[in-house]
Amino acid sequence: MYKLGRGSREKVQQFMTITGASEKVALQALKASDWHLEGAFDFFYNQPQISVANTRRLEDLYNKYKEPDADMIMVEGISQLCNDLMVDPQDIVMLVISWHMKAATMCEFTRQEFIAGLQSIGVDSIEKFREKLPSLRAELKDDHKFREIYNFTFNWAREKGQKSLSLETAIGMWQLLFAERQWPLIDHWCEFLQVRHNKTISRDTWTQLLEFVKTIDPQLSNYDEEGAWPYLIDEFVEYLIENGVVQRKK
Amino acid sequence: MSGGGPPRKRNFKIEAFKHRVELDPKYAERTWKVLEHAIHEIYNHNASGLSFEELYRSHYVLNLLLHKLVKEGFLLSAYNMVLHKYGEKLYDGLQNTMTWRLKEISKSIEAAQGGLFLEELNAKWMDHNKALQMIRDILMYMDRTYVPTSHRTPVHELGLNLWRDHIIHSPMIHSRLLDTLLDLIHRERMGEVINRGLMRSITKMLMDLGPAVYQDDFEKPFLEVSASFYSGESQGYIECCDCGNYLKKAERRLNEEMERVSHYLDAGSEAKITSVVEKEMIANHMHRLVHMENSGLVNMLIDDKYEDLGRMYALFRRVPDGLSTLRDVMTSYLRETGKQLVTDPERLKDPVEFVQCLLNEKDKHDKIISVAFGNDKTFQNALNSSFEYFINLNNRSPEFISLYVDDKLRKGLKGATEEDVEVILDKVMMLFRYLQEKDVFEKYYKQHLAKRLLSGKTVSDDAERSMIVKLKTECGYQFTSKLEGMFTDMKTSQDTMQDFYAKKADELGDGPTLDVHILTTGSWPTQPSPPCNLPPEILTVCEKFRAYYLGTHSGRRLTWQTNMGTADIKATFGKGQKHELNVSTYQMCVLMLFNSADGLTYKEIEQATEIPASDLKRCLQSLACVKGKNVLRKEPMSKDISEDDTFYFNDKFTSKLVKVKIGTVVAQKESEPEKQETRQRVEEDRKPQIEAAIVRIMKSRRVLDHNSIVSEVTKQLQARFLPNPVVIKKRIESLIEREFLERDKVDRKLYRYLA
Repeated sequence: MYKLGRGSREKVQQFMTITGASEKVALQALKASDWHLEGAFDFFYNQPQISVANTRRLEDLYNKYKEPDADMIMVEGISQLCNDLMVDPQDIVMLVISWHMKAATMCEFTRQEFIAGLQSIGVDSIEKFREKLPSLRAELKDDHKFREIYNFTFNWAREKGQKSLSLETAIGMWQLLFAERQWPLIDHWCEFLQVRHNKTISRDTWTQLLEFVKTIDPQLSNYDEEGAWPYLIDEFVEYLIENGVVQRKK
Repeated sequence: MSGGGPPRKRNFKIEAFKHRVELDPKYAERTWKVLEHAIHEIYNHNASGLSFEELYRSHYVLNLLLHKLVKEGFLLSAYNMVLHKYGEKLYDGLQNTMTWRLKEISKSIEAAQGGLFLEELNAKWMDHNKALQMIRDILMYMDRTYVPTSHRTPVHELGLNLWRDHIIHSPMIHSRLLDTLLDLIHRERMGEVINRGLMRSITKMLMDLGPAVYQDDFEKPFLEVSASFYSGESQGYIECCDCGNYLKKAERRLNEEMERVSHYLDAGSEAKITSVVEKEMIANHMHRLVHMENSGLVNMLIDDKYEDLGRMYALFRRVPDGLSTLRDVMTSYLRETGKQLVTDPERLKDPVEFVQCLLNEKDKHDKIISVAFGNDKTFQNALNSSFEYFINLNNRSPEFISLYVDDKLRKGLKGATEEDVEVILDKVMMLFRYLQEKDVFEKYYKQHLAKRLLSGKTVSDDAERSMIVKLKTECGYQFTSKLEGMFTDMKTSQDTMQDFYAKKADELGDGPTLDVHILTTGSWPTQPSPPCNLPPEILTVCEKFRAYYLGTHSGRRLTWQTNMGTADIKATFGKGQKHELNVSTYQMCVLMLFNSADGLTYKEIEQATEIPASDLKRCLQSLACVKGKNVLRKEPMSKDISEDDTFYFNDKFTSKLVKVKIGTVVAQKESEPEKQETRQRVEEDRKPQIEAAIVRIMKSRRVLDHNSIVSEVTKQLQARFLPNPVVIKKRIESLIEREFLERDKVDRKLYRYLA
């Protein structure tokens, strides 16, 4: 048992009240910040892995949204959740949240997924959740996280039992993701797919598209025909050239 | 002094030895004077015109000398002089004397007029040589002792050098000699006859004086003058001659020069002068000659001018890039003509003719290469690559070649000997080798073979087998296994039919005679077609057969291929004329309907037979619209079949033949939609082959980059077809999807095999 000075004990109390964290967690955070409260708060909120050991609260929350006759949160529950969070269900932050939850399928959360997800995010109440939203959105700006979320999306948005992603869903997801990342060619890409492809999207095409967006500039000046891009992307380049969007390289 | 006879033996003493007396200078001087005199005598006797040979042989002069010496008592004076260290005096004296003599000789040569100049020079040279021999003999002791030790030029060589310096290089003679020689050569080139023996002698003289003399004082200027001579001449010829004639002239000149060298120039000059002629007459005008309008290489090829071509080949071979120029021009000509041939719509109307044209072109050029180009392999290769290029420009080539073979095996080879058959098939195989899309050929060959086998229309079974063997040798067992299966089916069917009739004869009674070919699916080209409605008589016997067959082969499934059969029908017409009609199964179904009706509309026929529309139209057309075969009459009498037409049994049908063939089972050039279909099937068949190749490669290499996969796959499949890189890429992606392969996490271009 720690022998704490009076000032420190007070800080621990304060910390626990404000964050709802356990004593152990409070001590960790305050020690890490050299017993400055502000620093301790930063520390705590930037490390959502610190388990908010308030599983009781999480269970309550889960039960609030789950289906009456199934152990899942489905469309209605999610809709309610979005309402409470004051976000549009189409908001991309829902995607980030699903990623944290490691959700297997769109529009469904299992108990495990929901609870683990909220723990990973580091919230145990709607209010805290709401406050967390900006920082969740900010995660998309991180290159590494964006890639993980992007690749996660493919599996998540698939129909159960399907290997590939339906074109409609894929286009929807891409528009969502690249609106954030601002890829100038996103509209041409979606148009091209609808006009020329009209089939499902394979995982390889999905993952390689991100590479394409990240490495090839919108004028395609550094596009290499021998670059082993998926054929769909090669066809997209041809499409752009045919329609005069870019110049053919000599 | 009386001549003749050997010297009398004298008991002379070699006084020098005995007395060992130092020769006093005056003595030496006198001795020298004697020798000097002797030298002059030698030369004088030349001038005297006496036969030097005689003189020499009779040792007259030598005797004279010896007698003189003996007389004076200075035998072996030279010996003495040398012995007593007067070698230098002797040598210098010799040199001076000879020089003096040569200067005199020079004047007399210079004085010679016109044509005699050369003769005079030659004569004097001969004399000088002889004199030199003699002098050397006399002064042999000096040559052997004094000369080496004092490092002076030996006598003979000294004589030559002096001749060179004072005669050949004398200002008055030097240029005149060269000019004379060159002038004579020029005149000979212009057609005059010159004294070749004299020329020979002179050039030999120059060579004797040293190769450097020959080269500097004659050969080099000779080559320069020749170059400008031939430059001028070739310029003149090329303006007024056609290619063939020009080359004849060039060849003639070349031969002339070689002959010239062999007659009166040094052998070493041959390579140099031919090189000049080659350069001036051929190399400098190479392109103009090859491309000469109306007479250049292309014209020679077209007109089979073997002699001219042979000459051109031989001449161009001598110059750098000569043959490669010929080859390049030939190649682009072949490619151009070939391209025109395979894209000319007129030609393409008759596939058999088209292929015959290709074979003729090949034969023609094979002969040219063999007769005129000495079977040069590089030309053979150029021919092959050109053919390969343009044959594949037309993607119907595989189909057409198969049709050609079909025509030959159907009727073209009738009556031909086994040898003839082999020759023709081998030639076809040559064309086959050029094909890039051998798998397309395979598809068509199968189709055409099927039709031949089923209609029994093959000229010779041996010829068929021979072709299959050739294909197997070229492409391997896989290529021909199905074809061989087809032959097997035919044989088995024969046996089955025999057994059927043996066992079921009583059951069948008077019904129509059935001849069934049982085709193993997979070996035969499948053309799925819905079976049509067979006439009841036929249906009965067909069912009996089915029952019989399935009785012995339970577990198999039989489907009637009504689009591939034939029938022989006996028909009686209006005036009682009886004919036997050989028709297709479809046609039989249609005709049998008219046993119970005189006239039927198109729609009624369609309904009754359930033959697919396009086939039905073709079928009716062949029954009603072809002169000499119109067993049906159509109203209205238009050329094409419309769905509103009505058909009647043509009572008035006549034909000179009792047996009339109306069937349309002959293999024909495909229509557009059929062609599209076949091509699609080929493309579909290629996909698994490409995938199999990719998997094979990746299994052994484990990790490989994209471009390497593409090139390896292409290499593996090129014996059958040229895979499209885009298709290969799609197959790779499909394999990634099915988790046979994966992309490397870091390098997109790298693929990994997943076990």
